Amino acid sequence: MNLTDREKRMLDGAFGTGPQSAMRLLATLGEIYGAERMIPVSSCHVGGRSYLISGEENIEWMTDLLNGGARFQVFTSTNPCSADSERWKEMGLPEELVVKQRRADEPYLKMGAVPLGSCLPYQLGNVPLPGTHFAWGGSAGATFVNSVLAARGNREGSPSVIAAAIAGVTPEYGLHLKENRYGKVLVDLSGLDHSSLCLSDYSAIGSYVGRTLLDKTPVVVGLPQTVSQDQIRFLISPMPTAGAISLCHIVGITPEAPTVEAALGGKKPADKISVGLREMQSSFEKLTTTRQEDVDLVCFGCPHCSIPQIRQIASLLEGRKVHANTRLWVATSGHLKVMAQLMGYVEIIEKAGGLVLTDLCVAPGAPFHLVPGVKTVAINSARGAYFIPGACNLDVIFGDTEDCIAAAITGRFRRSR
Amino acid sequence: MKIILKGRKVIGGVAEGEAVVTKEPVSFLGGVNPDKGIVVERGHELEGKSITGKIFVFPHGKGSTAGPYIIYAMAKRKTAPAAMINVEAEPIIAVGAAMGNIPLVDRLDKNPLEAIATGDWVRVDGDRGVVEIIKKEDG
Repeated sequence: MNLTDREKRMLDGAFGTGPQSAMRLLATLGEIYGAERMIPVSSCHVGGRSYLISGEENIEWMTDLLNGGARFQVFTSTNPCSADSERWKEMGLPEELVVKQRRADEPYLKMGAVPLGSCLPYQLGNVPLPGTHFAWGGSAGATFVNSVLAARGNREGSPSVIAAAIAGVTPEYGLHLKENRYGKVLVDLSGLDHSSLCLSDYSAIGSYVGRTLLDKTPVVVGLPQTVSQDQIRFLISPMPTAGAISLCHIVGITPEAPTVEAALGGKKPADKISVGLREMQSSFEKLTTTRQEDVDLVCFGCPHCSIPQIRQIASLLEGRKVHANTRLWVATSGHLKVMAQLMGYVEIIEKAGGLVLTDLCVAPGAPFHLVPGVKTVAINSARGAYFIPGACNLDVIFGDTEDCIAAAITGRFRRSR
Repeated sequence: MKIILKGRKVIGGVAEGEAVVTKEPVSFLGGVNPDKGIVVERGHELEGKSITGKIFVFPHGKGSTAGPYIIYAMAKRKTAPAAMINVEAEPIIAVGAAMGNIPLVDRLDKNPLEAIATGDWVRVDGDRGVVEIIKKEDG
């Protein structure tokens, strides 16, 4: 691999042991993937800060980097973690978890991370510029940036993102290279009546596409012109979990995909699939792990809830009460919660007995298993439903937003369609 | 008898020790206890065996992308292998070895799972990508 003088000096320890460790990690990845050089990154977003995911080992590593002189050189924001540090008691969580999470967060803040605490950093000021390169953990966000914002990056584990944020560069491999970004399989959604689909349906479609295509980049056609950012987010966020997809061309929206031909790089598609109601429905069944109706906790926010989602949840809950045996959590960012408060939505949701929570991950780093009495969780996204059984060893029900709200009110989940 | 294999440097550094060889992929997260340096994956052919201070020879990693943290923790707690040899290194093992500063080589000119047996004395020169093996029976 060809390193610049600055990169070589960093590798030799001229900037301290922290940057040296970061560069050694990046050089190693570069060698393994056959990268020819490092490229600058304009934006970083670190996942894996959740104490429940990375534990004491991450604290040790981050502290060593910090003490070795490492600081984040590029704009770096943080993903959510295992608890809302203000409301852990109402959530039924042990204080110990919040104390440990604070300790885990310290080195990130000292290195200069912006504590957005959200998987929607692109709604909150961390927006990679078109044509630049990024290093993001949290596969939902990385896939969104690749597919919608015209910047380039790979889906990464958190150590390599931290290293890139410290060194300011990342090895040029995978989706950083134009030749690896072309679509491979045509995905036709024109057979669906889009006016009848809800957000959860798009996530069910995305999950089907992920598990069918595995690691082949999709080229999606047949979405209406009126498609919203939330719908796109729900469509693409399950693709990296159901499969290993980190870029989805949506013809007419993805900057690299003005036409099908451009998305495919002038080649013929390797395959073509159509997604209909049956394929969509199969995701709801596949990701639901129980036939029990009793629900202990209903949650929204994988990925984090946007304002339109919080508005919908508030309107469905207005004047009603969450069941005495069921909890309702709505996870979003601190920024968006302030907006939702000003708009009156938080009051409606909390008056009904729900909690609007910030800085909380409700899927890979979720703390559901630490909440007394929680055995079954209902969630409205395929991405969330994928993570919860493995991360928390609990049963999960994947249902649409309206059915999930009904479950929160009655304590029982019933599919309305 | 001394056998010399040549391969690719992944992480530099020199170490020697007794080999522990498995033909099964290894997941450090959940598969190895970082406090004790013992393989704990149920049904793994090395279940219950220590890899601390050993030259750990296995095909490649598997499992969670949080695996590097475990390798790093083992290095900090002095329970890590002295060096690792893979058939083909992948990012989980390589990033962990980079974080823990553990010599790692792969792509040797002979399959290390056949050329090396548990108990052989092995010297790994990570900087040059060279592995020297002294077979156990030669004592």
